[in-house]
Amino acid sequence: MPETHRVIYSAFRMAMLHWMADPQWVIPNIIAPFVFTFVALTLFAGADGSFGLYAVLGGGMMGMWGNTLYASGFAIDFERWQGTLEEVVAAPSNLLHVITGRSVSNALFGLTNMVAILLIAVFVFRVPLGLANPVLFAFSLVLTLLSVSALGLIFASSFVLTRSAQIFTNGLEFPIYVISGSMFPIALLPFWTYPASFILGPTWGIQAIRAAATSADVPLAFWSDIGIMLAITVAYVIVAALLFKLVETKSRRDGTLVQA
Amino acid sequence: MKLVLTLSQMSFFVFVGEYAHLNVAYIAIGNAIQTMSWNTVFSVINITGQDKWGGTLPLLLATPAPRLPVFVGRAMIHIFDGMLSVAISFAFATLLFGVNLGNANVLALVIVVFLTAFTMSGFGLLIGGFSFHFRNPMVFANIFTFILLIFCGVNFPVSSLPQVLQPISYIFPLTYGINAGRLTISGATLTDVSLQLGQMLIVGFIAMFVGYALFRLFENMARKTGRLEAE
Repeated sequence: MPETHRVIYSAFRMAMLHWMADPQWVIPNIIAPFVFTFVALTLFAGADGSFGLYAVLGGGMMGMWGNTLYASGFAIDFERWQGTLEEVVAAPSNLLHVITGRSVSNALFGLTNMVAILLIAVFVFRVPLGLANPVLFAFSLVLTLLSVSALGLIFASSFVLTRSAQIFTNGLEFPIYVISGSMFPIALLPFWTYPASFILGPTWGIQAIRAAATSADVPLAFWSDIGIMLAITVAYVIVAALLFKLVETKSRRDGTLVQA
Repeated sequence: MKLVLTLSQMSFFVFVGEYAHLNVAYIAIGNAIQTMSWNTVFSVINITGQDKWGGTLPLLLATPAPRLPVFVGRAMIHIFDGMLSVAISFAFATLLFGVNLGNANVLALVIVVFLTAFTMSGFGLLIGGFSFHFRNPMVFANIFTFILLIFCGVNFPVSSLPQVLQPISYIFPLTYGINAGRLTISGATLTDVSLQLGQMLIVGFIAMFVGYALFRLFENMARKTGRLEAE
């Protein structure tokens, strides 16, 4: 196995083992999306049309995002608390590869969050969730998951520099839910927030997911949403790689890794 | 971060309400008052957790200081922090979402918010006392901060919940506080909301003393087993 793959796999395996050793962390990741979905379904009760779909798919998206963000933030804080951050950074393995392995692991857990929300919605709240195009639904879901993970990489690199990653983690959760229009069309937002919405992969991802869920013959807009999301995701990865290099160099030079 | 959190939570539910063509002022006011939970519940529950992470819990419990003032006193700062969150949220509600506070009985509203924050700290202490026994109170902090959005009439009236769930709403002081807050914003006096305030104080004091009893119980258990931080 090439060295890069071995590092990514080891980081992936380590993150999986951490989760299995302390599964209570699933609760903080899933409780907010579950509650938000419950509230939205109650608010949408009696309304016709796509309201239920917006609530359920939005809740699932929030589950993925919440998991990724928490994992990004706590991955760094956890290393700090355990006193292992210096060792991870000092190891000859590329820090980006280590974090990528963890992100893939977190993405998988994020997917389980989404599935959990969908199952709760269908079986507890009796929301009819017929998927018009299951193949493209799964396709857009996986790509959105990758986009969310790539966004998490950017946050993870930035969090190395701060002592308060946990605070940023808590603070960034809700704004992304709002700006990405996870449970309502972004047309409701003030126009000055549109640029922020448009640079978020999840904004395009949730639109594509909704399109695949509602129509068997997806409109052209579905493919443009997918294309834009892919381009944004590639940009996230490039920015994350540059940030990791920058942050690592700065931390080593200033000796501020732990006290940052 | 307080500004971001309060604004984004309120915005989220206001936009969901707007999409469903509901009364957004009702939602904005509910969320404005609920934001105090981040201080009075989430932060208060995490007090013990922070002691565990910081390694200061054994030192604290080794002191001869009487436990009740220690237990209650450390939550008190969060009452005023919670009131600040509510004030910021009301500013957002007015400036961004056009909520009209022109008819509000301001003095009554301030007293309602103070008493709600005080009793919600009692609720935070209850869960904090319970979670003292566990290694990671953060899990309980997340659960009990978020479920308030379901049960306390924040975004929709308690009567919209399934009937079997409605009694649960009345074990949370916030349910009475939000109800009283909405009434004072409509111009009600303290006398008008005295019933809600009385019920809220009773629930809050019960929560505080049960929390204190749990704290002492688990403290004694931890001393006997020598597992103060590893529970």
